Amino acid sequence: MHFSPPAYLDPGSGSFIIQILIAAALGIGVAITASWSKIKRWLGIKPAADETDDDDSDADAAN
Amino acid sequence: MPRTSDSLPASFRDPGGFLFSRGGILYRQVNRVGADDYTRFMESGLYEKLVKAGLLIPHAEVDETPADAARAFKVIRPERVPFISYPYEWSFSQLKDAALATLSIQKRALKLGMSLKDASAYNIQFLHGKPALIDTLSFEIYREGKPWDAYRQFCQHFLAPLALMSRVDVRLGHLLRVYVDGIPLDLAGRLLPSATKLNFGLLTHLHIHASAQTRYADADVKSISPKGGMSRNAFIGLIDSLEKTVRKLTWKPAGTEWGNYYEITNYTDTGFAHKKEIISDWLKKIAPKSVWDLGANNGEFSRLASAAGIPTVAWDIDPSAVEQNYLRIKSEKEQNLLPLILDLTNPSPALGWANEERDSLGQRGPVDAVFALALIHHLAVSNNVPLSMLADFFAGFCRWLVVEWVPKSDSQVQKLLRTRRDIFETYTREGFESAFATRFHIRESVDVKESERRMYLLERKE
Repeated sequence: MHFSPPAYLDPGSGSFIIQILIAAALGIGVAITASWSKIKRWLGIKPAADETDDDDSDADAAN
Repeated sequence: MPRTSDSLPASFRDPGGFLFSRGGILYRQVNRVGADDYTRFMESGLYEKLVKAGLLIPHAEVDETPADAARAFKVIRPERVPFISYPYEWSFSQLKDAALATLSIQKRALKLGMSLKDASAYNIQFLHGKPALIDTLSFEIYREGKPWDAYRQFCQHFLAPLALMSRVDVRLGHLLRVYVDGIPLDLAGRLLPSATKLNFGLLTHLHIHASAQTRYADADVKSISPKGGMSRNAFIGLIDSLEKTVRKLTWKPAGTEWGNYYEITNYTDTGFAHKKEIISDWLKKIAPKSVWDLGANNGEFSRLASAAGIPTVAWDIDPSAVEQNYLRIKSEKEQNLLPLILDLTNPSPALGWANEERDSLGQRGPVDAVFALALIHHLAVSNNVPLSMLADFFAGFCRWLVVEWVPKSDSQVQKLLRTRRDIFETYTREGFESAFATRFHIRESVDVKESERRMYLLERKE
């Protein structure tokens, strides 16, 4: 567990703990998606484009 | 951090560096303590990537004497933002786009082994019509296992106000003016309808997050946190989830104060075109370097200035008008126009530590030219401000003033007087001219065709 170097911003103890728990659950989904993409790639299916790979994309997503 | 004589009062929290101004130029000192993070940030390719995507303000490393030499590693000169605005002045989509820009930056950073160490809405500014990060020192080297220090800040600065604006009332965005470090999550939780607990993102990042803050307020994080900390996948999952939650929050401008203003106005097509012609003509004559359009509605007349390449701020009290203006700027990729929310009867004050962190409206002036088109009657009649005080107010921050005078006989003024006693004896053309003549020269004045209204070009007396 990395507690150093300490943050200049106080992350707040409750916020710190709860995000680890929420993120742990969400991380499972990310791991599954990643494995699924690997399987798809192995099967020769092209994965969907990721906006952060596209240098021209921006964050204008409000509707 | 010791303040040096020219360091700026809004930049004192981060030990990694600070802003200072010298000879009218803005610099940022990178401290030695932030050297590793800054060097990796530049060498990782992240800087280049973000600047190319328009998500970060560009800077140049310069050979300038540091403001605090004992702690200095480098001095950089960031590109100057034409006008600094604050989250409590943004419309819903401006705040939403700023939130999405922050998350997009964080996703790109994680891919290159870096992470945002803060997620302050005040670090985002609108540049060329789009949100961009202005704090080059917001990045640190990512260490696997370490949770996101800025999670709470992101939820308070972005998620809570967006949820309140979307699910309760858009005017709750004004709470950001009271709570400069973002809306407390327990307060947001109490104001939001219970149905928001059925939304996974709002349930976890707002409601459960708020309860955890109370429950673990005095907890020793080291002893109760899971041993492995937060994996990289978990980190990515958290950012993705925040992004999905923000994207789902929407707000449609409806029932606007001036929403269909130009349809209910008493102008004929000829009169409307003539008013535009007069303003464009004067803009050519005075060639201002900057314009504030006060009471700009959806920016119809602001565009006469911005389309001519003049950096223009379009202020209006109505969140719907500002939202419509922003959405139009976005869809048409307009560059020089910034729409912002402002109640002129109670303008943005100086806020934050020692009242020095966020500037008031007046402190962000002066401005070359101000448009006050069909505005004076709202301030003088609806808000009872004497005309002489209005003249003093405008003279405080502008050289040129373009006024559209709306006489008492005009249907719009009659509407304001319908439910009240007419106590405005001096509200006449002569009264206006003599009140403003104390502070301004009347350079030109023209009657608008097919209308009772009159346009004035005023120049402040020195």
